[in-house]
Amino acid sequence: MNMRSASASAALIVALVLPLAAEAGKELINTSAEPGEETLVSQTRRAPRRPAPETTMPEIDPEKVPPPAPHLPREFLPIPDRWRLVDMLGVPDRWWDPYNQNTLKGDRPIFGKDWFINLAAISDSVAEPRRLPTGRSAAGTSGPGANDVFGNGDQFIFSENIILSASLIKGNTAFKPPDFEFRITPVINVNYATAEEAGVLKRDPRSGTHRYDNHIGMQEAFADVHIRNVSDRYDFDSIRVGIQPFSSDFRGFLFQDNQLGVRLFGNRDNNIFQYNLAWFRRLDKDTNSGLNDLGKKFREDDVYIANLYIQDVPVVGFTSQFTVVHNRNTENDRFFNDNDFQERPAAIGDQRSRDYHVTYLGFNGDGHFGRANLTVSAYYAFGRDSHNQFAGGVAGVPADISAYFFAAEPSVDFDWVRLRGSFLYASGDSDPFDDKEGGFDAIFENPQFAGGDTSFWIRQGIPMVGGGGVNLTQRNGVLADLRTSKEHGQSNFINPGLILAGFGADFDLLPQLRLSTNVNSLWFANTTVLETLRNQGEIEKHIGYDLSAALTYRPFQTQNVVFRLSGALFIAGLGFKDLFVSSADPTGTGKDIYYSVLGNLVLAY
Amino acid sequence: MTALRSWGRWAATVAVVAAAFCAPRGAAAQNLTVNDVERIIAGAVAEARSRGKPASIAVVDRVGNVLAVFQMNGAPARVRVTSKRGIPRTHGLEQVEDTFVTIGAANSPSSRLSAIAKAVTGAYLSSSGNAFTTRTASQIVQEHFSPGELFAPSGPLFGVQFSQLPCSDLSVRQATNGVPAGVVSATLGPKRSPLGLSADPGGLPLYKNNVVVGGIGVEADGFYTLDNRIEDYDFDVDEVIAIAGQQRFEPDVNYRANRIFVDGRSLRYTDTRPTDLQTNPVNAPAFATITGGVVGDLANVQGYFSAAGGIVAGQTYGQAASGFAADPNGTFNFVGQTVFVLFSGGVNRFPPTASTTPTVANGGLTANEVATILGNALKVAFAGRAQIRRPLNSHIQVTVSVVDASGNVLGMARTPDAPIFGTDVSLQKARSAAFFSNPAAAAYFATYDASGTQLAPSAGQNANGVVIANFLSGVRNVLGPNALSDGIAFGARTIGNLARPFLPDGFEGAAAGPLSRPFDRWSIFNTGFQLDTVFDNIALHVRFADAVGGAIDTGATCTFFTQFATNLTRLSNGLQIFAGSVPVYRRGVLIGGVGVSGDGVDQDDMVGFLGLNDASGALGTGFSNAPHSLRADRFAPGGANLRYVQCPFKPFLNSRHRNACDGK
Repeated sequence: MNMRSASASAALIVALVLPLAAEAGKELINTSAEPGEETLVSQTRRAPRRPAPETTMPEIDPEKVPPPAPHLPREFLPIPDRWRLVDMLGVPDRWWDPYNQNTLKGDRPIFGKDWFINLAAISDSVAEPRRLPTGRSAAGTSGPGANDVFGNGDQFIFSENIILSASLIKGNTAFKPPDFEFRITPVINVNYATAEEAGVLKRDPRSGTHRYDNHIGMQEAFADVHIRNVSDRYDFDSIRVGIQPFSSDFRGFLFQDNQLGVRLFGNRDNNIFQYNLAWFRRLDKDTNSGLNDLGKKFREDDVYIANLYIQDVPVVGFTSQFTVVHNRNTENDRFFNDNDFQERPAAIGDQRSRDYHVTYLGFNGDGHFGRANLTVSAYYAFGRDSHNQFAGGVAGVPADISAYFFAAEPSVDFDWVRLRGSFLYASGDSDPFDDKEGGFDAIFENPQFAGGDTSFWIRQGIPMVGGGGVNLTQRNGVLADLRTSKEHGQSNFINPGLILAGFGADFDLLPQLRLSTNVNSLWFANTTVLETLRNQGEIEKHIGYDLSAALTYRPFQTQNVVFRLSGALFIAGLGFKDLFVSSADPTGTGKDIYYSVLGNLVLAY
Repeated sequence: MTALRSWGRWAATVAVVAAAFCAPRGAAAQNLTVNDVERIIAGAVAEARSRGKPASIAVVDRVGNVLAVFQMNGAPARVRVTSKRGIPRTHGLEQVEDTFVTIGAANSPSSRLSAIAKAVTGAYLSSSGNAFTTRTASQIVQEHFSPGELFAPSGPLFGVQFSQLPCSDLSVRQATNGVPAGVVSATLGPKRSPLGLSADPGGLPLYKNNVVVGGIGVEADGFYTLDNRIEDYDFDVDEVIAIAGQQRFEPDVNYRANRIFVDGRSLRYTDTRPTDLQTNPVNAPAFATITGGVVGDLANVQGYFSAAGGIVAGQTYGQAASGFAADPNGTFNFVGQTVFVLFSGGVNRFPPTASTTPTVANGGLTANEVATILGNALKVAFAGRAQIRRPLNSHIQVTVSVVDASGNVLGMARTPDAPIFGTDVSLQKARSAAFFSNPAAAAYFATYDASGTQLAPSAGQNANGVVIANFLSGVRNVLGPNALSDGIAFGARTIGNLARPFLPDGFEGAAAGPLSRPFDRWSIFNTGFQLDTVFDNIALHVRFADAVGGAIDTGATCTFFTQFATNLTRLSNGLQIFAGSVPVYRRGVLIGGVGVSGDGVDQDDMVGFLGLNDASGALGTGFSNAPHSLRADRFAPGGANLRYVQCPFKPFLNSRHRNACDGK
């Protein structure tokens, strides 16, 4: 396990920071997600323009391997094992130094010949001023003179995650997958939020305009058993049981979470083929940290996943993935979150509970065609919802789910500049009262797309003020899916859908400094659902323009100290202005401006 | 229908939809004929017989005239009024579930009264833009909206069940009965309801050609209750019988309650499936074959219906005989739209009138000021976006009332299709604002005295033994020792905040508001100060309507507070505790109130608040909304400020102007 410590930490950051739905800094993703494996895999991506190495491995024939040579007298002093080699060279093992050989970082066995331990600690701090459409509570306000629904939308969040991780690994070399791995990753979160309006942070308007909360979540707790190798190149089958990170596709469009599950995975044909067969029984989340909450009952929600990655299809340098994902939800009980808001069933429509099962057929691809990079994702969702909560009426109205999703992000690199285009289409529902549900929704999205959490629309959850106890779009989500939350809510296939077209550019200004910029324009695919929820006609489709920029500073050119400052301005389009009022412009005659600022410091050991 | 303007590409769609919805409606005046009523009753009776559930069935017209009360042989004689929450008797109208006992000194109401209350509710809550039922009413009067969504604020029409009260001075009596009776007429509306509005499933509206023409109410199960579980499919025999009676007089599916969303929650129309009917009402035996004692008979209900007179035809809403018709005098021509007013004796019953308390000389509103307030309020309504009506982009439909500082009616006016219930409610709200904002309010609490009635409670108490003045000390515990005599301005929304079983509204575990009851004793039949001040009126009336020997009807004024003029208390049609009114001031002095009812509560608030604001600006004669410093939203019991008004999230049609009320 002589993996370099720094890159081990980098992988861990990616793996752990990424799924923290609430507060994580997410931008680190783009450099590391590797097909076929969840993000824990530490391989680094080939440079975009460099072709895959043409390697011709020598034929391996056990008959031709020479017999072991007899021990010969050596002139060296004996050492316990080869891991201690550098000790002999005078390089000390310092527990606090991840850059040199370090027993605590899995560089040397902790006991026996091949049992390693890898400890990591990451501090992830987020400070986030923002302005969201904010409704006042009918039950009470934070001051007099509040005569309208929309109040002051300025809010601030500070969140600190301390991510601790310990792995115990039985393995041998850098090339052979380890035989066993046991890992736990508790995350300690403290978070603090302020808002100008009462009843926003917690439902009780007396609780004021500040909220402090903390939580310890278990983001990883698994055992990984290497079942067998199936080729001389260590193609393998492995099984992993417990809370583990998983991403259903390259960009986290459908399901990217740290969830309790059983996963059989492996590869074939010199890693050309990679597969996953997984079952997750979802844990409920802590409301304010977004971390797993082992104190809550399991969600009655199962996710079954089968996927196959094939490298170099259709062209060398492009990996294609085919997947089938089945999500079955039978959550019939009322559930209120930690802030006393009802999460299940969603407080829209007739509030009757519902079950649903939905199957996603997906194709995802990532790689490059010549010097043009491309990521694509396409899903078709179909299934059955036991009750259309909009249809209300005198009987349960079962409905068929039929919805689709497509996203593509082409990019091209010019020396230190990368230009990106983003396009996304998520179908919307055209008639909320019928027995068809045509709005696309994901299971647990965490999209790294179109600017990711730098973008206002993707980063912020926007409450559907006046249209029920749901969010128009979720925090760290791109879909306009009208669910209560990613963390607790059920998927909702009666939604307006989304169209996104964007353009961005990344500039590697210095080895330590990257500037990312993004401009997105967003539209609802169909506003009928919104009009119904609000009893408001003629809601326009254009949501608005989302302008964002992020500076990422890595002073040591490592992932051990990363500072990121990003800011997004959202200029409301007519559709958004039809729905919401910015406190900056109550009259609706000028521009409605919202913003999202993210200051993020990651310190990793 | 609102003048339809649109932005570009939606125009065609909207116009088509609007035409589909609106062309038939209002195009022809509609009413229930005697034959219609017979068919309705026959259909209901057949279903009730099939189920072995004999029922009392009432049919009313849109303005509340009782067209028929048919009592099947074996129908429950009396009903048990209960929220099914285990609240013992003598707490409001609540009774123990398993025994027939009396409410206070009065008898339990008969199933006939229950049926009338349900029929009135179905008719009164509905319009050509919204079809609501008693089940809808149930959903919007409970401690949370929707029921079961803990911590959510109360239903938007919390307290509306105690409107259309039998003591209302506004409501028209069917016939005189020896006590001061206000307006008496066989045709005029709005008529009163014996129990107020009902939240018990089994009351539905009746439509002809998409025009609401009345309501049907059924009582067969013997419970006068509510549906407090929104999440289930609640089979209710009253409702299924009413559905049978409603056949051929059903509303279009496009504007039934379940297509109408309030704060994203759809309203409940019924929980009865079409397949639940055991009979086909079209094939029901004719009325002539079931009446006269064969299956049942028309039944007398004193003050409502005379069996000897037989079934009567319903009035045509919009004609002067119905009590509601277009303004005949051109008073509101400046509004630029057809404005309806109330009628009596062929003339506008409540034309704009100068204030008496205070007099005009002392700063009271002039007739012209009243007309300007009413007209400007209606202008807001015609420009505003309705919350409870379809098709989308309908304008607000409401009734507006203006009162003086004592609650004298200074004028009423309405949009043409405003639901009838808002007539009485708008006046309740206007008076409630004037009452609570009046510095004399505190002294008034101690004047309650029903000891001269047949119920003969002690002075200061109602027949349930509730000491009315205790509510004053409750309010003062929350708002300070001088509350209700210090001139603080209350709108109905603020009063509502104080009259919820949780303060702040909806927050489970919080103490009750000072005008309410602790939650373990609170129910929609025991709302606190609101009910306690009219309990005696209701109890007296139930005895009278059910012809308990020697019972004398309640008079045509609610509450037994001191009458400041003959048959007028400051709350002459009862207190109302949901939003939609503001007090009127001139140079810091209370001179009246404006009340609005008929659409979403935020719409009601805006029509009153903004209408008054606009009228103030139009005339510049010094009357206005309350000065900011006097408004009750500066109180923050527990840390959360009370609400004064809340205007809607998307106030207007054809305009992106929003936050219409902040700063005003």
